[in-house]
Amino acid sequence: MKYAWRIVDLIVGGIFVYAGVSKVLDPAQFANDIDNYKTLPWFVSVRLAFYLPWLEIFCGLAVIFRFFYRGGLSILTALIAVFIGATVAAKMRGLDITCGCFGHVSKNWNFSTHLVLDFAIFAAVLALSFGNSRHRVEL
Amino acid sequence: MKFIAVREALILIALACLPAIGEGIYFRDKISWQSPIPASELVAVDQAKAWGDGAIWVDARPDDEFAQDHVPGAFSLNEDHWNELLPQFLPNWSPDKKVVIYCSAASCNAARDVAKRLRDEAQLRDVFVLQGGWEEWVKKSK
Repeated sequence: MKYAWRIVDLIVGGIFVYAGVSKVLDPAQFANDIDNYKTLPWFVSVRLAFYLPWLEIFCGLAVIFRFFYRGGLSILTALIAVFIGATVAAKMRGLDITCGCFGHVSKNWNFSTHLVLDFAIFAAVLALSFGNSRHRVEL
Repeated sequence: MKFIAVREALILIALACLPAIGEGIYFRDKISWQSPIPASELVAVDQAKAWGDGAIWVDARPDDEFAQDHVPGAFSLNEDHWNELLPQFLPNWSPDKKVVIYCSAASCNAARDVAKRLRDEAQLRDVFVLQGGWEEWVKKSK
């Protein structure tokens, strides 16, 4: 069982590292993607566009290497929860947006695809946060 | 346990600042910090009108809004039907003409996105976004 949790660690951590790297390469595009949500002023969006991808990368690596594991999972849980909330709110406001979560790869995903993937990741992160504590793998 | 998680989270939050600041310094001249569209890529309605035949107008709004009304002579080019509309627009472009793109209002992003794609994908130069969009054009044309 502990190896199953370890695999989930690697998948979740890998997803966030990939998501972060894909956005680090094009901060201007990610700033536009954040701005499309119409919830933050541009000067905040552009600064978040530089910061959030690195936070995702560091937290993803923390989960993969189990270094600052609890802190990494806590931040990822908060990030994905905020993102789900922002996506649903944008949809309710009638905004037709691309999430920008995985750079160009996610550009043509529809709302349902976004939401299914987001909830799957959210469930995995929560499972790691609560379920995994009983099956800690000592490295 | 909670205290450890909070402490680790704060350390990760602080660590992520370092490369972000470095990247920000690297991109400091390549990104617009105060506005989504750099001032050099915006054009006022009066200025765009003054260009006369030297400007090609592009309407980035959805098809139904374009059908209702649009700037005289404007071409419809939106991201919903990009692949069909772009080939119709390109033969009308020439290097000596400026491209003026507009969407509904100052708050819309469609004109900015279309402008970016025209620069990146079609390699067009002199592409401008109309300040205030269609709303401003209507106001100035009364």
